[in-house]
Amino acid sequence: MIDAAQGFSVILILGVSVAISWLISPYVTGIFTRAPSRVDRLLNPVENLIYRLAGVEPTHGMGWKEYFLSGLLVNILQMAVAFVILSSQGMLPLNPQSFPGLNWDLSIHTAVSFATNTNLQHYTGETMLSYLSQMAAVQFLQFTSAATGICMFAAIVRGFTVGSKDMGNFYVDFVRTLTRLLIPLGFVVALILVWLGVPQTLSGHVMVVTVEGATQKLPVGPVASLVSIMQLGNNGGGYYGANAAHPFMNPNPQSNILEMVLMLLLPTSLIFVFGELLGKKREARPILIGAYTLFGINLFIAFINATHLGPGIETRIGGFFSTFWTVVSTSATTGSVNAQLAAMHPLAILSALLGMLIQAAPGSGVGVMYMVMYVVITVFIVGLMSGRTPEYLGIKITGRDVRLVMLAFLIHPAIILIPTIVAYASGAAAAIGVGSDSLGFTQVLYEYTTSAANNGSDFFGASANTVFFNISTAIVIFLGRYAPIGLMLALSGSMIGRKRGTVVGLKTDSISFSMVLVGSIIIVVALTFFPFLALGPILSFFQGYVNGLG
Amino acid sequence: MVLDREKPVKSSNPKSIGTDLRVSIFSGKVLIDSLVRLSPVSLASNPVMLIVEVTFFIVAAMAIYPQGFVPVASPSGRLFYVEISAILFVTVWFSTFSAALAEQQAKNTASSLRKLETEVLSKKIVTEKWSRKIIPTKSTELRRSDLILLEKNDIVPIDADVIEGIAMVDESLVTGESTPVRKAPGDALIGGSRIVSDTITARVTANPGETYIDQMIKLVESSKRPKTPNEQAITMVLFGLTAIFSIIIASLLGISVTLDLGADLSVILALYVCLLPTTIGALLPAIGLSGMSRLYQRKIVAKSGKAIETAGDVDVIVLDKTGTITVGNREAMELIPFEGYSKREVGEAAFLSSWYDDTPEGRSIIRLAYDKGFIPDNLNALGLAHVYEFSASTRSSGVKLAHSDDFMLPKGGKAISQRQRISRKYSSASEESVSSSFGEVEIIKGAPDSIKTMVRSIPNNFDEAVDTISASGHTPIAIARNGEAIGIIRLRDVLKTGIKEKIQSIKIMGIRPIMVTGDQPLTARSIASEVGIEECVPRAKAEDKFGIVQKAQAESRIVAMIGDGTNDAPALAVADVGLAMSSGTEAAKEAANMVDLESNPAKIIDVVLLGKQLLMTRGAVTAFSIANDVAKYFAIVPVLFASTISQLQALNILGLGLNSAVLSTLMFNAIIIPLLIPLAMKGIAFKPTNTMSIFLRNTLIYGVGGIIVPFVGIKLIDILLSMF
Repeated sequence: MIDAAQGFSVILILGVSVAISWLISPYVTGIFTRAPSRVDRLLNPVENLIYRLAGVEPTHGMGWKEYFLSGLLVNILQMAVAFVILSSQGMLPLNPQSFPGLNWDLSIHTAVSFATNTNLQHYTGETMLSYLSQMAAVQFLQFTSAATGICMFAAIVRGFTVGSKDMGNFYVDFVRTLTRLLIPLGFVVALILVWLGVPQTLSGHVMVVTVEGATQKLPVGPVASLVSIMQLGNNGGGYYGANAAHPFMNPNPQSNILEMVLMLLLPTSLIFVFGELLGKKREARPILIGAYTLFGINLFIAFINATHLGPGIETRIGGFFSTFWTVVSTSATTGSVNAQLAAMHPLAILSALLGMLIQAAPGSGVGVMYMVMYVVITVFIVGLMSGRTPEYLGIKITGRDVRLVMLAFLIHPAIILIPTIVAYASGAAAAIGVGSDSLGFTQVLYEYTTSAANNGSDFFGASANTVFFNISTAIVIFLGRYAPIGLMLALSGSMIGRKRGTVVGLKTDSISFSMVLVGSIIIVVALTFFPFLALGPILSFFQGYVNGLG
Repeated sequence: MVLDREKPVKSSNPKSIGTDLRVSIFSGKVLIDSLVRLSPVSLASNPVMLIVEVTFFIVAAMAIYPQGFVPVASPSGRLFYVEISAILFVTVWFSTFSAALAEQQAKNTASSLRKLETEVLSKKIVTEKWSRKIIPTKSTELRRSDLILLEKNDIVPIDADVIEGIAMVDESLVTGESTPVRKAPGDALIGGSRIVSDTITARVTANPGETYIDQMIKLVESSKRPKTPNEQAITMVLFGLTAIFSIIIASLLGISVTLDLGADLSVILALYVCLLPTTIGALLPAIGLSGMSRLYQRKIVAKSGKAIETAGDVDVIVLDKTGTITVGNREAMELIPFEGYSKREVGEAAFLSSWYDDTPEGRSIIRLAYDKGFIPDNLNALGLAHVYEFSASTRSSGVKLAHSDDFMLPKGGKAISQRQRISRKYSSASEESVSSSFGEVEIIKGAPDSIKTMVRSIPNNFDEAVDTISASGHTPIAIARNGEAIGIIRLRDVLKTGIKEKIQSIKIMGIRPIMVTGDQPLTARSIASEVGIEECVPRAKAEDKFGIVQKAQAESRIVAMIGDGTNDAPALAVADVGLAMSSGTEAAKEAANMVDLESNPAKIIDVVLLGKQLLMTRGAVTAFSIANDVAKYFAIVPVLFASTISQLQALNILGLGLNSAVLSTLMFNAIIIPLLIPLAMKGIAFKPTNTMSIFLRNTLIYGVGGIIVPFVGIKLIDILLSMF
């Protein structure tokens, strides 16, 4: 267990994250309400130029299908661009190390993984990717995928908002999210990171002579800008294979704390934005309380044994901050790591898995969306016990709504469990040296959970660079990203123009409901995944393993 | 106030509905029906139970030929497979049994209601060979264009048109208007109203509405009862959970086979059945049906299951004042003398004039005068008094008796008859009412404006006094003695017993009552505030209800209302819950989605509570069913891979044996169905408080309880099993 000082730092970091999130939420809300802002004078001409060049009619309101398909189309185009860059980087400029193009399957996997905000990496950045790939494929997608998730979130909230006539315009939301949120914020954060010691350069790798007289190649590059957006946008895809365990991505305790705060910033802020966009600030309460209670539970599970750490922990970061980071990164669906997962205690891995299975503790752009889904199903199942037809935000929940939500809950176990079995049955797991014991099972289960949750942290890294794992995880990532978003948009889109009651029966903004919500999320997730968690990290724990390697 | 769970039904029917549950359990009909329902074809409408039946067939096959299932079965487990398949079979049977039981109960209640439809004995006029005969006939046997005779105090059995005579009719129960209405030939009489004075002949214009009962029985009997929106949504949850658990079980089987974990198929299937929402799956049909039964027990016929559910959502109830909030009769409160007269004089005159007035108002006037001590000395004279019955044309009634302020008249005897003769001789023949003969006293009481026409001079403050009383929300009755207006009686509406508490209970649940009345605004407001209703619509006609309902609906509220007149029909049709009185017109009953066979408008509140109870019961059993799964995981998962992974025994927090864990969990899963049948059929008990308290209480009992109960239950069964 952790000591008092560590407990205090947890509370401090979380408190600061929530406070900053709350402070920036009115500004973020303005991006979607298109409220007049001081930055308009500067940015309106730029945005209008983009709209004109792209042929976008900013006043056009989209239905849920159009919104969803626009987003999907934009994302698929970006995947295609990234695929071309990655697979042909050898022939493209900005490649001082002359890295060859990636295999087709790895290119597909990487393009899908980054365009969906997953950032599961089956490659090692510093030895496989050119600067162009790092910037135009990886970094570019980190901006757009985060923007896409945030746009989808905004559209979903609009459906639930009283008086909405449409879901908004995807292109406008997309452009505004980039110009007003991710690019300026990313720029500022990148500067701070540079100040903290993260490199940002386009010149080739540096050769240095160490104190022992040996020469060492230092793989530098445009790192700070990538780290900034990878944490800010809850992407998690690192410049280096070691991710944030690499001293150039996370040089010191200050950067470590800053990056944790960044991971929590937008997910938490969007919870407040949810309330503000709805025009019912109190409705953000159950989501905030729910998300942070679940997060607290995850932290507790992980901290039970935070000191038992194996090889793969950065001594300058230490066991406590490595475990803390892992929980933040998995709960907030970022997926960056500052230590090897294999070094973690089975209970920390259990906590990480829970965070990704819940996807909303607190979760990035789509985290609020998952939380709304949990609220809807909770309101439906337990809300009946209040003696009224269950309603959320005054809207009665119908059979169709329940069907859409249940479908989303159904997809999740399907895309995690089925490929896990296939990976074993086909021998693909054995081919990369994964055992059939609880440790191996945990790793495979983790691989598909991180894919389905669009998280990106993993045990395998470049060792999973096989056709089977590249393609199977790409499919899981794709479905895990777009199926729930599509279903949730359909649900939200159907809310537009629906009859709303004015009498509130079940107060979803109350503390007591928030607690019931937490209970029902735990039950829903436990009922779905308990046997598999029992065969994985729980069994490892009972078998007496102290870290993921045994 | 607690919503009665087992209220014995007051019924002339000797076979009380309350005993039906017990009767049906032992009836062979239910047993046979439950067995017939076991066929996979009839289970198709209940996919959860169908899956359980399929697992039964699989495990039964394993018991018969275990060799065919290697590697997921072992021949040594044969006895175990037999046991599991037996429990699986019983699980399915419990579910069909509960459905059969609920249907039987609903049918019994429904058919007993058929006899209860408002039966009024009416006087049917039959013309046979030029002679008219009056035959007492039940209202249900009347047919259109039959002739009926209606005398004073008769209830109009069914809608009819007046063809002969003029009468005052009290339609207060039907229209809410408490003042009797004058009906002349050509006017329509509304079934359920009461003749207050005179005699009329009328022609029946409608056939008795047996259609509702028939409609209702059809609703209960058809096995393909349409699912209500809420049931559809729950079914979606059950489908979803079933699909999720199917994936989980298939994955477990897949992992067990690929990783050689050696799980037994029967155990995996047992886990599957335990996880499936069998409890709610088995009881869902019974809950819906018994919700209807509970309405029938209160003699309310719902035309659809949806209407009952909607009742639970009601936020606004439009209440008629008369019949719902007040009993429809008024009570005397105060005696107000005009200048020159004392209270005592008015009291005594009121006493005398009301002696022969057997209406509740008349009785209350006597009670008031008596309580104040204004008992006339000449009470004895009443024995010989000449009584003016209330008549619709004069809107007044009264008595004429020998005057005796200072001596008691002998009862009967020459003196009186002599005086009467003298008085008649001197009184003007045309103006009998304005009698002022020396020895006699004539007291008339009635509506102020009709009294005004009878008296010789109108006191200065007559109009002022009348207006003040009306303005304060009460009804004035003027009293005249010997042609002089002497005072006014203040009458007040009488509240129904318990109505205040009922209004309070619905308000606390967040439902807004709106009172509608034909009274003037001040009267209306004072009564409304007395029972705690903030909102009232005075001077409303039945037609106005439509606007009231629409206005509330425009504010996105779910509106319930009652009505019975044809004028109410549009409002009843547009209201989310429309409760028509059985005594009402056909049009009203046609438009409403529920009909109260007892014609008690106050029942609308019960309907709302029953609707809530139905929704709560469904939610509670669903939450309980899902919460149960937690314990079942803890019981079965540790033994699932017991042959290869011993460390998972650490999760066996209940300390169950290998086979016993599976058997006791399955048994618990099965036995909980019949144990919850009474809950499903009677509905869960609740106190009307605010929605959040109800929600939290039920969540605690059925949600948290649903997690704890199976841990205890499974352990108990395990202990029992270990004894054999």
